[in-house]
Amino acid sequence: MATAAGGIAVAALVHIAMMFLHVAPSNTVTKAHGAAVSDYVYPEYEQNWKLFAPNPLQQNISVQVRAEIRPGDGGSARTTGWTDLTALDGRAIHHNFFPSHTQQNELRRGWESFVGSHDAQNRPNGTRGELTERYLRRIAMGRLGAEWTAHGGTVDRMEFRSVTTPVGPPPWSSEKISDKPVYRVLPWWPVTVDDVPEGASK
Amino acid sequence: MTTHSTEPRHASDTGGADAQNAHDAQDAQDYVVQDTWIERAVGRGFARVTAGPMAPYQTAVIRIGFAATWLFFLLREWPYRHELYGPDGVWSLDMARRLLGSNGAFSVLVWSDGRGWFELVYALAMISSALLMLGWRTRTMSVLFMIGVLSLQNRSVFLGDGGDNVIHLMSMYLVLTRCGQVWSLDARRARRTAAAGADGTPGRDVTGVLLWSVLGPALALAQLLGLYGLEWTANGPFPHVGWGLALWVLWLVHGAWWWVRRYAPGEPRTVLNTLADLAHNGALLVIMVEVCLIYATAGWYKIQGNRWQDGTAVFYPMHLDYFSPWPELSALLAGSGLLIMLVTYGTVIVQVAFPFTVFNRRVKNVLLVAMILEHLSIAVLLGLPFFSLAMVAADAVFLPTNFLRWLGGRVAAVRDRLIPGGPARPASGEAAGGAAGAADGAAGDEGKPAGGPGARTRESGGGHTLVG
Repeated sequence: MATAAGGIAVAALVHIAMMFLHVAPSNTVTKAHGAAVSDYVYPEYEQNWKLFAPNPLQQNISVQVRAEIRPGDGGSARTTGWTDLTALDGRAIHHNFFPSHTQQNELRRGWESFVGSHDAQNRPNGTRGELTERYLRRIAMGRLGAEWTAHGGTVDRMEFRSVTTPVGPPPWSSEKISDKPVYRVLPWWPVTVDDVPEGASK
Repeated sequence: MTTHSTEPRHASDTGGADAQNAHDAQDAQDYVVQDTWIERAVGRGFARVTAGPMAPYQTAVIRIGFAATWLFFLLREWPYRHELYGPDGVWSLDMARRLLGSNGAFSVLVWSDGRGWFELVYALAMISSALLMLGWRTRTMSVLFMIGVLSLQNRSVFLGDGGDNVIHLMSMYLVLTRCGQVWSLDARRARRTAAAGADGTPGRDVTGVLLWSVLGPALALAQLLGLYGLEWTANGPFPHVGWGLALWVLWLVHGAWWWVRRYAPGEPRTVLNTLADLAHNGALLVIMVEVCLIYATAGWYKIQGNRWQDGTAVFYPMHLDYFSPWPELSALLAGSGLLIMLVTYGTVIVQVAFPFTVFNRRVKNVLLVAMILEHLSIAVLLGLPFFSLAMVAADAVFLPTNFLRWLGGRVAAVRDRLIPGGPARPASGEAAGGAAGAADGAAGDEGKPAGGPGARTRESGGGHTLVG
């Protein structure tokens, strides 16, 4: 029984040490043994508790999309206006005690993972990058596909952009910041059947 | 076996002369070996962790808390479940397979593209949450609960937030705890068996046997079909332990526990019981440290941010599109720079301080109240109800036993007022918690004037040995 107690104590302490090293900043130990820590932690013990830290996000990022619709009768393609998907989320969250993950996390974290898996020229780095591109297209098609094709035609291509606007300083603060929005425009992406989630039509 | 191990400690406590008179040379040597403070401390610790499962009320309350949070979440997302986790959701099953192929995370949802399989898994995730909350076949349900949480979350990784993250970790830790000792249908059944005058041998438990007999072959079938995620030695909860191995070990141990309780009530049962206590106490330690790590990380990284330093940090999240469901309320609070600064500084102070206060009951409890209140206000103000509920459940592992017993009594009283004849009836969710709470609450009231040290009291009657 003493062996069992010792074994469980060692397992618990090793686990705690791994969790600690995973959440701690990069340090002497993780620089030398980072791979061992990662092997232990991923995938099931991954965690991130930098909640609103070191600084809370101080800007609103609006993700907007427009599409090019090819009419069924062979006429010339037309381009829709921009739709602010983030604003639609915001409207769904407004006065909502229980926002759904589809409203609060889907697009927000989808965009984050796009930014995290692409370089400044919007080129994907590896599989993950390509997957997040398709994810964005599916989100847009799921929300707007039916509306875009309400008068017939198919969605040929779509284009995303983000508009980043800083949150103004608090009313009591004398701080001055630029309130000019910053745009990031992605290239036009062709839309295929793989980009159409359940319940949407291309 | 426990007796043998603790005896030398006892000998050193009662003094050298007695020990030498009473024991042979071997024991005398043990005495000499143990006569350093560090070894006595190890001996005391060993006696403590093998003496029984600690914190029965705390583990019960986090079980109820996490199971309820996940259940409410699944109910809330019911209309959106296909979009979030369905085979043709926004993150399609094909995309999920490609990502899981690279990270090896566990999910049963990739086993089939069928709509029926998805609906079944979602339904089982809800049912296992409800039953874990009620404490019905708690140990089995904790395993199914974990499978449900991992399957859904790992399938759509880009949908989660901090709340999902906490539930993910805790669903695995709960499997190793004896979290159904109180406030559970299991505990009620054990009490009734004991009251019925059985000689300590538990009943056959046909339902439990059936459940076990279905789950074993189901796991075997899944492995024979070569379904994803059931390796023996890779991609599991620990290095060189796959989910296949882990689930089989759990299944065998559940069967062995049933068997020794019925047919080997002597030493084999004591051994398994003590091992279960050890695993419980180890997992409890991990859970408590995990909660401290959450606050330490959240706090120490905040200190480095200039917005937390200049006292305006709390102003910003309330003005983000995704976290301001009540702009009027946010504007009202943001009107006062002093208030924002107090909340900003208070948040950092509490988060950084909390891990250091767990050794001081009074200070810890004050901070605990502050943290729970902050999470409740975050639930409304930032529109994060499930994240907040999960964090309150995590905080609850540090609530004092006296308070939990008092709370159990109150819940039982309310239940009795609503449903006359309460405990005798088949209980629903709250009632199940209350049934145990009613009995325990009465005992707690007697002990109340004694105050502080009562915090470590355990349910009397040794009920824990009857409940897996």
